[in-house]
Amino acid sequence: MRRRHFLELLAMGAAGLALPSRGRAVPASSQLIIGQVQHGGRWNPRPSALRRLQWELAQRTSIETGADAVPVRLGQPGLHRSPMLYLVGDGALPPFPEPERAALRRHLQYGGFLLVDAADGSDGSGFDASVRRELAALLPGSPLLRVAREHVLYKSFYLLDHQGGRLAVKPWLEAQVIDGRLAVLYSQNDLGGAWARGPLGDWEYACTPGGEAQRETAFRLGVNIAMYALCTDYKDDAVHLPFILRRRS
Amino acid sequence: MEGYNAWRLTSLAPWPRWALAVLVLAAVAAVALAWRGLRGEPRPGRRAALLALRAASAVLTLFLLVEPALRLLQTSRVKSRLAVLVDASRSMRFPVEPGGRTRAEAAAAFVGRHRGELEALGDRVSLEWHTFERDLAPADPAALVRGAPPRGGRTDLLGALKAAAGGGTGRKLAGAVVLSDGADNAALAEGLTPATRAELRALGMPVTAIAVGTGSPKDLALERVAVDDFAFVRNTVTVEVGLTVRGFGREEVPIVLRREGAVVARGAVRLEPGQERYTVPLSFVPDTTGTFVFTVAAPVFPGEAVAENNSRSFVLRVIRDRVRVLLVAGRPSWDERFLRTLLKQDPNIDLISFYILRTATDQPGSQDELSLIPFPVAEIFGEQLRTFDAVLFVNFAYQPYRSLDIERFLPALRDYVRNGGGFAMLGGEQSFGEARYGSTALAEVLPLESPEAAGIATGAARPRLTPEGLRHPVTSLAAGDAPNEAAWAALPPLPAVNRTRALPPGSGARVLLDAPAVPVDGRAAPLVAVREVGSGRALAVATDASWHWGFVAAEDLGSSRAYQHFWNNALRWLVRDPSLTPVQVEPDRPAVEPGEPVGLSISVRAPDYGPGAGAPVQGELVGEDGQVVARGEAVAGPDGTAHLELTPPGPGAYKVVATARPRCGSGPCPPDAPIERATGAVAVRASGPEDADAAPRPELLRAVAQATGGTFSSAEAGLPEVRLTDPEVVEVGRRKDLPIWDRGWFLAALVGTLAAEWVLRRRWGYW
Repeated sequence: MRRRHFLELLAMGAAGLALPSRGRAVPASSQLIIGQVQHGGRWNPRPSALRRLQWELAQRTSIETGADAVPVRLGQPGLHRSPMLYLVGDGALPPFPEPERAALRRHLQYGGFLLVDAADGSDGSGFDASVRRELAALLPGSPLLRVAREHVLYKSFYLLDHQGGRLAVKPWLEAQVIDGRLAVLYSQNDLGGAWARGPLGDWEYACTPGGEAQRETAFRLGVNIAMYALCTDYKDDAVHLPFILRRRS
Repeated sequence: MEGYNAWRLTSLAPWPRWALAVLVLAAVAAVALAWRGLRGEPRPGRRAALLALRAASAVLTLFLLVEPALRLLQTSRVKSRLAVLVDASRSMRFPVEPGGRTRAEAAAAFVGRHRGELEALGDRVSLEWHTFERDLAPADPAALVRGAPPRGGRTDLLGALKAAAGGGTGRKLAGAVVLSDGADNAALAEGLTPATRAELRALGMPVTAIAVGTGSPKDLALERVAVDDFAFVRNTVTVEVGLTVRGFGREEVPIVLRREGAVVARGAVRLEPGQERYTVPLSFVPDTTGTFVFTVAAPVFPGEAVAENNSRSFVLRVIRDRVRVLLVAGRPSWDERFLRTLLKQDPNIDLISFYILRTATDQPGSQDELSLIPFPVAEIFGEQLRTFDAVLFVNFAYQPYRSLDIERFLPALRDYVRNGGGFAMLGGEQSFGEARYGSTALAEVLPLESPEAAGIATGAARPRLTPEGLRHPVTSLAAGDAPNEAAWAALPPLPAVNRTRALPPGSGARVLLDAPAVPVDGRAAPLVAVREVGSGRALAVATDASWHWGFVAAEDLGSSRAYQHFWNNALRWLVRDPSLTPVQVEPDRPAVEPGEPVGLSISVRAPDYGPGAGAPVQGELVGEDGQVVARGEAVAGPDGTAHLELTPPGPGAYKVVATARPRCGSGPCPPDAPIERATGAVAVRASGPEDADAAPRPELLRAVAQATGGTFSSAEAGLPEVRLTDPEVVEVGRRKDLPIWDRGWFLAALVGTLAAEWVLRRRWGYW
């Protein structure tokens, strides 16, 4: 065993000890396990990102998460066992075959949620151009629109008023809406790049221009996105309003 | 002429009218032609003579053609009628003045004193004696003098006058004498309106009104209760109580509103001298749905004329505007997410949610940067609990939150179910035995036994309908046993099932779905179970993966309808949606008068939700003391409905209880066929309109007399002038026509005028 590998295992063991003890066995089927979409392009440029996000979710919230994400193929059976999907890419994507597009469309129409993340920070080219083409074909009746600052997404757990990510390409998120619900959420700021953390505990990428504060915001946004996927507009219920207004003031 | 006392001119000509008109026109034309031909005559004397001769000829010709005659008639004057109407309504039981004789006695004495004067009018009119209240009835004047007990439940003066005017075999009513206290509670209840004034005038006769009773007895009456027929649960209902108070000093009168014995609102009114009418608003918030009898009551004070009018009952149907559901989730999960989405989509559901988003061990950062709110345990499980129609625990444990001490509210939640609430527990690692609910008060209402730390079975558990699940509305995904079983069999298996046990028979619990792949003590683990406890209902779904029946099923089946169907059924069953009730009962009227029977329509649904034709039904009236006071039985007709009439023993509020065996409609009735039950309410009024206001209304009688051109007096002052219309003149007997045209000199005159004109014209050079 090489020294580096040994140190990595040691660090992972220490991290495991630091996890809170829930005292109850939660079946995997009852956990939040994000399905990462395998596509024809570079589909997994940030392999540790979702593992770290799920770990942070377990640390910060009552959401029970799996150890890591699961890769899913849109055309394969079992897609609906992962109501929350993550589609990330670095560079252009080939067009999705129509059966895969139909499967993803059905997933979203029946209540699924898709987070799309541009790892390459592209804007008008590369992943951005490809995924906009795919999303337009996916839900032609629901164009990508900016998510308003007042949307419940920005208060589903943390009270947020700015974006996070490895980059700051766009100070907003975009979304496609089905029946008033955000079904597809698109970030051009490489959220996964901010979440990715190596086994030795070092962040894999620097966040620019905001540094660690921008990374923390990326995690908080990730937490809010997961909360939104699981609770939808719960924080828009009237009972929360006075508390949120007080804290925002 | 002998025997004839009248005559008039008539025509004996057989011509129709149009022919006569043509003749007249021809005569006019003949005169006009003569005038036209004489325009050039310079000598006016000649012109006038010729025109006169032509006109005379025309008139004589017409006279002969019309054949005039003298009609001799034998006529006589016919007596019109005079109706004497004596009030026989119950208000005549009240004293003329406080402590005095009754109005009925005063009326009898008046008839005794003035009967002779009235009968003296017999040479002009034919005298008729009646009593009146709701209807008009002929009466014997001797009996009126003796005084008959007044029993009528209503006073309808205008109706009585109309009935009197319409009677008499066509003979005209020349007038009416009304002897009454004027306490009309029909068309004239609000006094004379333009419409009623016009109706009185249309009678065409003067009314002589004699008021009986001048002073108002001491009385407090709940004269009016204004409230809608239905109200929304948990919404404030305001009942407006109208009081009429007479003979009281400055006093404060407490008013209470009771729902089937329990006080739900109180109010008071401060009496002021000179003011007789008061309105008291009583507000309350109904907390449960159903049909209830409410009673407004004021105390009975010493010396009051009528005690019965101090309370009034009415029936109010309390319905839900929207089903109010409390959803408490132990943590965000897909089970919670899909259920919330489903419930939020239903516009009839008002969803209140509380999710535990962080635990004590979670480290999200500063509280000020979070949108989290404190869990208002005391509020939702305490004061607000009864406002919910159903409470759903989605993988929610009570123990982890020590500071909140949720366990102390579990008995209240148990009682909430027993008292009519709906409760559902959904599975997960924080539910059932995993959360040790089996040792809490909630276990007394849960439909499953929750062995402690029995664990969660993972794998593929396919749900199986039990025999009871086949028929139960909660697990009815399709009509009919086989389609229903097929619908369940097509659903994807569940990946996790909480290990629980079925409750023993007799507990009222039923397992509807089980999981053969998950054995517990050698038997298939229950998956869905229901229980009726007290008047409430509980549901257990021993998995946190019911969303697989929707979202996961949609991948294979292309539909999530089974999931929607199941949860819609479950919620409707929990909140006792009327459309799922196998027996329903509806009184024909919410309130009846004393002595009237109560009509009940009882409808029965068969287990397949079709009409329960042939099912035996039973209806009961239950008094406020819980005793059955009337009972009846019937058999549902082809439409599943039976009608019963039960007679309550007296005024008051009655609960209506209908029971039926819907499974006994066709074929032999199995001994274990369940008895289904439905309840309603009906009120028997303690006081009718006659008792509501004991005050006499002489001013109304005066107004009636004035409107009809009659006279008014009080009984003490005696009989005033009785005005009558002129008697009607009608023909009777013989008639005879004497022709007057067939005299010879009329013809001679005509020949003479024609000849004279001819001669003169020739002489003066016109021909």
